[in-house]
Amino acid sequence: MASDLANADVRLTVAQNFRTLASSTDEKDIIAALQTLLSFVNDGPGTTVTSAQRSEFNKAHYTRTLQFLVSNIQADWLKKLSGGQRAELWDSLFLKGPPEQTLLVLMEAIGELRPSGSLDRIVNITERFLQSGRLADLLWSYCLQTSLSDSAQLRETLLSRICALPDLTANKLHPNNRPLFSPQQYYPLLAKEMLTALERTCQALRDGTNCSLMFVAQTFGKVCIQGHSDAIMASMAPHLSACTFNDMVWQRVCWKLLENVPQRWMESVLTGLVQAVHGPDALGRIIGNLVLTNKTAQFVITHKVLLLQYKYKTQVLRTILSYLAADRDRRPLLIQVLRSLSQAWANPSAIKHTPVEQQFYVSKALLLSVSLLKDSELQDLRSELLQCMLGGMQSHLDSSVVRIRNMGMVVGECLSSRMDFGGIKLKFEYEQDEETRELLFLMNPDPCEESEPEPGIGVCSSEESDPSPQKESSQPKLKTDPDSELDSDDDLTPYDMSEDVKMSKASQPRYLRDCLEILLSSADPERVELSLIAAEGLVRKNSFAAKEISVQMTKVLLHMEDKYSIDGFLNLRQATMVALTVTDCLPVTQYLTSEFYSLNYSLRQRLDILEVLALAAQELSKPVAGDKTPLVNSVPSTEISPYPGDNPVHWRQVVEKRIQSKTKYISKGASQPAPKGTRSRYAAVAGYFFFPLLRNYDKPQVTFDLLGSDHLVLGRLIHTLGIFMHLAVNAPIAAQMGCALLDFIWTVRYHTDQMVRRGILFAVCSVFLSMPSHSLLVDLSDQLFETRTWLADVAESDPDADCRSLAVQSLVLLDESLKKQLQGSKQPSLDS
Amino acid sequence: MAHPAPSPIYCLRGAGAPLNTLHFCCRGTDTPLLFSGSAKGMIHMWNLNSRRPEKSFEAHGGSSILWVRTLQSKDALISQGRDMQVCMWDLRGGCGELVDSVFTGSFGFCQCSLIETDQTKSLLAFATQQSEEPDSGPGPLLLAGYEDGSLLLWDVTQRSKLSQVKAHPEPVMCLTFDPQRLRGISGSAEKKLSSWILDSQNNIQLQECVKLVNPGVSQLCIRADGKLLASAGWDHRVRIFGWKKLRPLAVLQYHSDMVLSVAFSDHLDPRQRLLAAGSKDQRISLWSIYNEGAATG
Repeated sequence: MASDLANADVRLTVAQNFRTLASSTDEKDIIAALQTLLSFVNDGPGTTVTSAQRSEFNKAHYTRTLQFLVSNIQADWLKKLSGGQRAELWDSLFLKGPPEQTLLVLMEAIGELRPSGSLDRIVNITERFLQSGRLADLLWSYCLQTSLSDSAQLRETLLSRICALPDLTANKLHPNNRPLFSPQQYYPLLAKEMLTALERTCQALRDGTNCSLMFVAQTFGKVCIQGHSDAIMASMAPHLSACTFNDMVWQRVCWKLLENVPQRWMESVLTGLVQAVHGPDALGRIIGNLVLTNKTAQFVITHKVLLLQYKYKTQVLRTILSYLAADRDRRPLLIQVLRSLSQAWANPSAIKHTPVEQQFYVSKALLLSVSLLKDSELQDLRSELLQCMLGGMQSHLDSSVVRIRNMGMVVGECLSSRMDFGGIKLKFEYEQDEETRELLFLMNPDPCEESEPEPGIGVCSSEESDPSPQKESSQPKLKTDPDSELDSDDDLTPYDMSEDVKMSKASQPRYLRDCLEILLSSADPERVELSLIAAEGLVRKNSFAAKEISVQMTKVLLHMEDKYSIDGFLNLRQATMVALTVTDCLPVTQYLTSEFYSLNYSLRQRLDILEVLALAAQELSKPVAGDKTPLVNSVPSTEISPYPGDNPVHWRQVVEKRIQSKTKYISKGASQPAPKGTRSRYAAVAGYFFFPLLRNYDKPQVTFDLLGSDHLVLGRLIHTLGIFMHLAVNAPIAAQMGCALLDFIWTVRYHTDQMVRRGILFAVCSVFLSMPSHSLLVDLSDQLFETRTWLADVAESDPDADCRSLAVQSLVLLDESLKKQLQGSKQPSLDS
Repeated sequence: MAHPAPSPIYCLRGAGAPLNTLHFCCRGTDTPLLFSGSAKGMIHMWNLNSRRPEKSFEAHGGSSILWVRTLQSKDALISQGRDMQVCMWDLRGGCGELVDSVFTGSFGFCQCSLIETDQTKSLLAFATQQSEEPDSGPGPLLLAGYEDGSLLLWDVTQRSKLSQVKAHPEPVMCLTFDPQRLRGISGSAEKKLSSWILDSQNNIQLQECVKLVNPGVSQLCIRADGKLLASAGWDHRVRIFGWKKLRPLAVLQYHSDMVLSVAFSDHLDPRQRLLAAGSKDQRISLWSIYNEGAATG
């Protein structure tokens, strides 16, 4: 009864004051009314308000009061108040009451008011509200659970207001937004306020008061899920890491905080945290054994971050896996993670269907977790790991992508050296590149694990080192070179050194038949090398002689092996075969294309055939060089000149070019004749290159199964066909070739090997490039629609980035070609 | 187009054996002289005006001569032969007269090295087991190349090793050093020359290599003005490089067998300077190369 009475009393006073404010014109009355209202919230000494009255006011009338003040913001009495009075009475009413109500009223006012002086006032107040640390008070009040007027709905609203304050203000105030409301400033501020609330919580726990972290945790989670985890974590993670370093209460508070984060926001909190935190120890201190108690956290940490998302840096992987390894209770999880990682790594389907980047990521995680295992654990897992290693390596080495093969080799090496099969280790030959080095490096223990910053200094002192001494020491080095410009060898003109060639006892053969003879029968490495070097030049020099024995020579070269490890053997052989094909086109192409599908050839030879045909087609399609310019290829040396850059011919050309570029020609006549149209030698024979290769692809043989396991050759074949197609632009036969090629690739368009798919898409591109657009419409009209759908599908969902971009490119080409054709056909019809 | 490589201005025949070593003596006399030592133990003294041998005598009992050098007093000649002797000859008579000899006890192919500190004193280094070459520094320092491909720098007075570096995988065949630039170069049986410098702490530091077309170098020589480097190649060719940047400048082809020795003459007038190459084909070729610009510079 007494409380009811008191409540009625408060209500009466408030109503009276409202009335005074609304109606009175006397300044003194107004000030008195405001002071009365303020006395309810002002917790100072000498106040006559009882605590029961105050809590009643805060519960029932504070929001009303504020709303009343906002709605009367344009009233005359407010204008009459002096600046000091206004700040003391009016502003204090906003800044001293329960902060959650203030915030809600303020945000509501900002949302409703039009741009005006009153909006500016409200914005000012909001700014001061944030600056004076009222957010921390707000969060802290929820920690203490003193807010009585608490409904789930209110909480939800408040939460969204706190988290979305930058958005709300930006929507309303743009372009006059305050810098404090920008996400760059607001979220660090919010993080600071959360830390203050946590600090107060710690203090309260030490004093024996119970607190609830639910609301702070909700705020934390909500901010993270809205995509601001970077900004929040950047200031929170170092601080938490430092505070938990030797304070158990802080650790407990952190654990509780993360436990209280709602499940649906857990993922974004954790991913943000593992990226921001420095080292596994700090992570362990902050989240404790959350992975064991919380299912979502476990799923995120042990599955999602490691296996599904592959965007994180290696350091994150290291942090997570070392965190799992650091505690006895968490170690089973590490084993479990290792199992799933090794399964994922060895999965042949994953190798085919996931992006290379993801496989690289999984490999890194696998190596890291293996390096963290103890020897005893390794013994238990040995058979599983071995199985994974052998199976996984096989499927990696089967891949046609170099990166994947390298990955398989490196991981295999590392695993075998870790498992230690009685001193036996795998050793592969691969080229060291950045990726393999990174993988190999992962087996070493973490270099920065020891160098975790000490608490206190980690937060704000990173720019103290003075870079100036380094600069000074590096400066004087510049002038130590004794050979200045004046003092050089440049005044000595070199003589012609082209005669300076390799000495050899035997002499080069002068006739192509001699070459053939030597290549067929000689066992003298030097003679074989010399004739191989001479062969290309001889073929090009005397085409009549070459035509007599072209097929025979091609056959010999095709079957030739590098018995004597001759320098540049493959290039020499290829160049000669290309020269033969160009010189005597029809018989040699017939021979090569028919041999491509015959028995008894190695994959290498089949690939050679394709390469030779492609290069020959390229050469044929180039305009014939005139007699005056010597054929570059006719110089029979593929050996790099021992003195590169000192070739006198080259030097002269450079100087002449320089002179030309500096000289202005006065006469404006055509100094260069327009390029003369020349007949493409390729157009006439394109069909001979192209069609025989399409003939037998679906007839598997004992040694060659193009559509089965030999997909390496298939990819290259399609790529080569694409080249033929591309070179046949403007040739009459291009339309037929295009139709045939599209038909052919349609059967293999969803091949599992990405190299094959790349080849296919390249071929499609070249079809769209080279086929005349009208025949594209006429001949392919029924296929075009399906092709488009397929390409769109590839562009969207192919795991390989190159395939996706190629598909997009071919779609663009197709559209352009069609557009050109449709516009071209429309115009004449309009005219007629 | 660049000019074709020059031909020799003349050549000296009649030595009758492969020419292992050459030494010019053109300073201060009217008749420039060239000394040569052959594989059959003959020392020839060629008059470069008449282009005829002025004196010739057999030394070292017919064993191959590895090295000849005159002392500053014109008439004294030191020669090293494969009979394990280093001999000093007096040339004032009609033919050489043996003055003194030292037994080295070394069967190697390593040449001696001579440093003349002043008018009266000179210091001779010969190998008891391996190969050497001198350097004029504050204290006499000696650079030696060894058959395992390493170069060693010795302090002669302290008898201590100052620095060691592995320059070649094959034996060091020859080396030469430019005291002005503190820079040297060495050749081996492989396809490259490697250059090196002495830093202020007397450490040998390897620098860039020069690639050759054909393997094997038997001698290297730097012209006195420090502009040219000549190499005697096993591929019958003499190669000329700019010494500062080791830029290849010319390939001199004349001989029909391995070139065994090269030497630049010490003419006072730079325009008269000569390059001599002695070969296994028993001829000495003389070349005039890059002399024209030298008059101004």
